Amino acid sequence: MFGYVMPDKPELRIREYEIYRAYYCGVCRAIKARHGNLPRLTLNYDITFLALLLSSLTEAEPRIQAGRCILHPLKKRKFIINSEILDYAADMNVLLSWLNLKDKREDDRSALALAGLSLLKPAYERVKARYPGKSKIIHDRLKELAELESNCCDSIDAAAEPFAKLMEEVIAYPLLCKNEKNETLLRWMGYHIGKWIYTIDALDDLEKDIRKKSYNPFLCQYDYRGENIKAFKDRILNNTRFVLTYTLSEIANSFELLPFLRNKEIAGNIIYLGMQKKTESLLGKEDRFERPVRSAGNT
Amino acid sequence: MKDPYEVLEIHRGATKEEIQNAYRRLVKKYHPDQYRNHPLEKLAEEKLAEINQAYEMLMKNGGQAGSGYYDGGQTRSRTYGGGSGDSIFQQVRVNINKGNLHQAEQLLNQSTVRNAEWYFLKGIIFQRKGWYGEALSHLHTAVQMDPSNPEYQSALNQMNYNNRVYRDRSGGYGSGGMDFCELCQCLICTDCCCECLGGDFITCC
Repeated sequence: MFGYVMPDKPELRIREYEIYRAYYCGVCRAIKARHGNLPRLTLNYDITFLALLLSSLTEAEPRIQAGRCILHPLKKRKFIINSEILDYAADMNVLLSWLNLKDKREDDRSALALAGLSLLKPAYERVKARYPGKSKIIHDRLKELAELESNCCDSIDAAAEPFAKLMEEVIAYPLLCKNEKNETLLRWMGYHIGKWIYTIDALDDLEKDIRKKSYNPFLCQYDYRGENIKAFKDRILNNTRFVLTYTLSEIANSFELLPFLRNKEIAGNIIYLGMQKKTESLLGKEDRFERPVRSAGNT
Repeated sequence: MKDPYEVLEIHRGATKEEIQNAYRRLVKKYHPDQYRNHPLEKLAEEKLAEINQAYEMLMKNGGQAGSGYYDGGQTRSRTYGGGSGDSIFQQVRVNINKGNLHQAEQLLNQSTVRNAEWYFLKGIIFQRKGWYGEALSHLHTAVQMDPSNPEYQSALNQMNYNNRVYRDRSGGYGSGGMDFCELCQCLICTDCCCECLGGDFITCC
């Protein structure tokens, strides 16, 4: 359920886009340095946003270097180096990917997920040992989520709660949370990002879940009765747009109060444009635009 | 004390007019209406105080003693007092104002009455918790049951206002660039105008 938090690329300046990509490549490199090559494949945009956000609130100026990598061997790319924040983001990426795969495996006994799990296991154990408190909380939240889903929870808000709390925990980077104000703002933002991701993902999965007869909070809350998917989406459109926009407005409220030291334009682009466009495209108004990109790539 | 220029997000040596514009823009952004009854309300108030202080300093230096100064402190947050006078609902309101949402929710669930005020209070609790779908539907029910109550209507309006502010800011963020249709229309218009004046912008038509 990851990879929705991304910038609206055409609205970024080239310089800003280069910085954004340097964070993306930086996290990828950090994963390699800490956990080896294979876990790099799980890198996603949400974690890039996490790295960019946390680094923009930290005094230490990020250092940029250029180099080649196995995915892009021909052209040198810029990337951020040696940052504790990138290491943290890399670890959280491993943690979330592992739990995501575990969820998939339990859902539909996917063999691919099982293979992924066994490949990620050593990295996951390392991260778990490094952040015992956080990984326990995250683990517990996912358990709550699984329970709600197996009981066919018929409130989207209730179903989204565990994942919202989980993202709150991920974004609450311990070093920045030494400052109480920062902690309040980061947790508020994390909670709402989690809520938005969960809801948008459920919206994205509507067709698949109808086909496979799996759980989807939208189908339960709005009492789906086998109607045409387009008609169903039209029926839920107004309410869903209102709630998603409201959630985004709360992310923006905390964004405006966070003490950014750099990159505020890029983060603002993601929050005000990228996430809004994603919302509209999944609500079905802008189907002609792209579908979500979920995995690593050179975009 | 922070650098007032940094606080107002302007360059050193900005003109008086630039300072005033920046100040107005920021006051609008952190206006108490935007954060009323909000868990981040205190932080927004602090930010506004900082902006006021920076503005005052710069205007004083320019020989102007804080003209047009916005006093955020005067607009106190609205608390959920009043209501019907039902004692359980009173207690619920007290708990909401203190931020004890769990306590407020428990009290409310004990009540056997299911009137408009019950739905309103439940909606407010949901809103504070971050459960906006539930908040919206409960507030709607409250307004439907008692359309003449200004308190219920204003809670609903507040939610709409929040969304509008977000959309306005989104609009101001990007270039607000034309989409393809607008671009075509624009080119065709240009062509027509040019032709009227004897020139041609698109040579093939």
